[in-house]
Amino acid sequence: MSVSTPARRTGAAKAPVRGSGNTPGRRFRLGEPGTAWLFMTPALVLLAGMLLYPIFYTLWVSFSDFDLALFQPTGWVGWKNYEAVLKDPGFLESLKVTGIYLVIALPLQMILGFAIAFLLNVEWRGRGVLRALFLIPMVVAPVVAGGIWRMLLDPLWGVVNYTLGLVGVGPVEWIGDPNLAMASVILIDTWRWTPFVVLIAAAGIMALPGDVYEAAKSDGATRWQTMWHVTLPLLVPVMAAAFVVRWLGAVKMFDIALAATKGGPGNATNVVNLYIYEKGFRGLEFGSASSMATLVLIITMILTYFLFRISRRLENRW
Amino acid sequence: MRRSLRLAAAATALGLTITACGSTAPEVSADGGGLGTAENPVSIRVIANDAFAKQWQDQLVPEFNKKYPNIKVSVDGVPYNDQLPKTMLELTGPTATYDVVLGDDSWIPQLAKTGGLMDLKADVTKWTDPGYDWADFNPSPLAAGEWEGKQYAVPVRSNLLLMLYNKTLYKKAGVKEPTAETTWEQYFKDAEKLVQDTDGDGKTDAWAVGTYFTKDPLTPTIWQTVLNSNGVALLDDNLKVAFDNETGVKALQTHVDLLKYAPPGASTYQFNEPLEAFRQGRTATMFMWGSVYKGSAVDKASTTLTPEEVGVTTLPAGSAGPGAHRGIWSAGVAKKSQHPAAAWTWLQWVTSKEGEKFTGSAFGTFPARNSSLDGTPPAEWAAPVYKALKDGYTVVDKNKMWRPRLPESDAVQQILALQTSRAMSGQATAEQAIDQAAKDVTELLKSKGYQQ
Repeated sequence: MSVSTPARRTGAAKAPVRGSGNTPGRRFRLGEPGTAWLFMTPALVLLAGMLLYPIFYTLWVSFSDFDLALFQPTGWVGWKNYEAVLKDPGFLESLKVTGIYLVIALPLQMILGFAIAFLLNVEWRGRGVLRALFLIPMVVAPVVAGGIWRMLLDPLWGVVNYTLGLVGVGPVEWIGDPNLAMASVILIDTWRWTPFVVLIAAAGIMALPGDVYEAAKSDGATRWQTMWHVTLPLLVPVMAAAFVVRWLGAVKMFDIALAATKGGPGNATNVVNLYIYEKGFRGLEFGSASSMATLVLIITMILTYFLFRISRRLENRW
Repeated sequence: MRRSLRLAAAATALGLTITACGSTAPEVSADGGGLGTAENPVSIRVIANDAFAKQWQDQLVPEFNKKYPNIKVSVDGVPYNDQLPKTMLELTGPTATYDVVLGDDSWIPQLAKTGGLMDLKADVTKWTDPGYDWADFNPSPLAAGEWEGKQYAVPVRSNLLLMLYNKTLYKKAGVKEPTAETTWEQYFKDAEKLVQDTDGDGKTDAWAVGTYFTKDPLTPTIWQTVLNSNGVALLDDNLKVAFDNETGVKALQTHVDLLKYAPPGASTYQFNEPLEAFRQGRTATMFMWGSVYKGSAVDKASTTLTPEEVGVTTLPAGSAGPGAHRGIWSAGVAKKSQHPAAAWTWLQWVTSKEGEKFTGSAFGTFPARNSSLDGTPPAEWAAPVYKALKDGYTVVDKNKMWRPRLPESDAVQQILALQTSRAMSGQATAEQAIDQAAKDVTELLKSKGYQQ
């Protein structure tokens, strides 16, 4: 907090100090930055309490032995938890599983999201209803979504296999087969999150400047050329923003996997956050779980930094 | 100087605030919080499994309040997979939210190790009813609440892994009904015939078996039972892995082979799915906790079957005898409870002859007391079930058919669950899965200070 004196601010010396009475001499005054800090303090305190404290606490726990009886970190163990975590094949496998999920799910959701947004942008009857229906998956709790899809995909009772059976396919072990289980998790996640991309993409498409299209038309550009050389370049910032937001959401996915597959069969869908959750809140190994969480945070921050750089480059390039 | 003082003051204020946020449990009064009066009733909270918490709240608590109207009981249900961690956090926290905590069979050592549970034979004796008959408990269910010579919990819902079978489907397949003497070899021979087309439309619509197959800590209890019925324990007396051998591989392979005779998609079966398939008449047998009998054979709202159609016996026999697996829900009193007298009074009533009679009749819960097992059953359907239960208690005691009695029991089950799931889904052979499980369990126990 800054303190200003009449000597430093001539104007202030001459003007009467509000609410100060007639007492002459030096007094505390908050300058503009001071006032700004004063108003920001509640938000900063909240932010520190809600964001920084958990992060630092996690960091602290990751370097400590966690005493369950006292329920707090006790002895400093240095890098011991990190060494154990880096040797843990389950953790490394869960990172790999998360990577597979991200590499498939994110591009799929982006492509589908923008494609659907383009379709919804064209005038046709009933698109308003469809647009509203698209919001439904987003408001369904992930655990509920996982549970419902588990029922839908059930080989004996589920409607998906029943429908496939009508054309002679199946029954398909959607959740029981290790490869299909990952496909099912991606399917559920895509069902849930594509509407989010659609929303962002639709807003971006609607905000495109009309005069550029008129210019393209008068220059004789075909629809494909307009799409490729006008629309997509203009949408790059929107796409980049949507991708980064979706990336940050997808990295922390675990609830759908928990509800639909519990990370199985084996470790086929055991994404890293589910692994950490199980380690911490089921195995009660808070030291190891905190080390894993810290490592994931660092990896995510590094990858996010590169994603930001790439998106900035793309924006500049176009 | 002034700046330093201000900083110090701010730090002190922050410290005091943080200190004020944390609190320790206040001293409990000499009367253990008393049993309440009409003007000042006592409230206690119970953390239970969501499978029966509502039943307890809606029916058991009002019954208890007929005798103890001044003890208000709230029962909170928690899903099975969240219950152990939540209870651990509860018992290690600075204050008690719950006065009574429930634990599955294998959790008691882990819960007791926190130091958060009272020894019910020592810490609460002054509030123990003189008529509370400890000796009447069958030793098998009572042992589930004991650890290192102390009785931390009493059995509130006794259970055993048993085989329920659909007599109609056995008859349709022309197969003799199973008995306690049926071996696994015979069972698999019968299973082939029990996968059948019951309505003649050319499509299979009934299968031989439904049970746990998915990645879940309870799933390995099936092949553990096979292992135990062949005379091998999971861990030996020195707490070293004892299943890393041919018998272990064979036991897991038996469990994997059951999938061939189960309905499509059974590899994802946990608790509800096999139950549903059996109750809909789709599976001829079900390896499941016996307490589901009433809901599977009697309650019209939950089953299509009748008591005449549903038989119950132990799991097929191995070289050491028939199979069963102990799964007793026990309840203890939290050490930090402000109302231990009321909490223990509630527990005494639930586990008394009177309480067992009520839960047996209203919910079909299995009793832990010999007098209840040997007395008149609460209903006609219960007579054969109680017989199977008594046989089962004998069997589990003989072959030590329970999960490891260690604070690390749940961690061991998690390892077994993962490897069982790998074997079920074909990601590993039974031999590879057993080998990996043995290595991981050994590593775990070593890291916890056990000599390996």
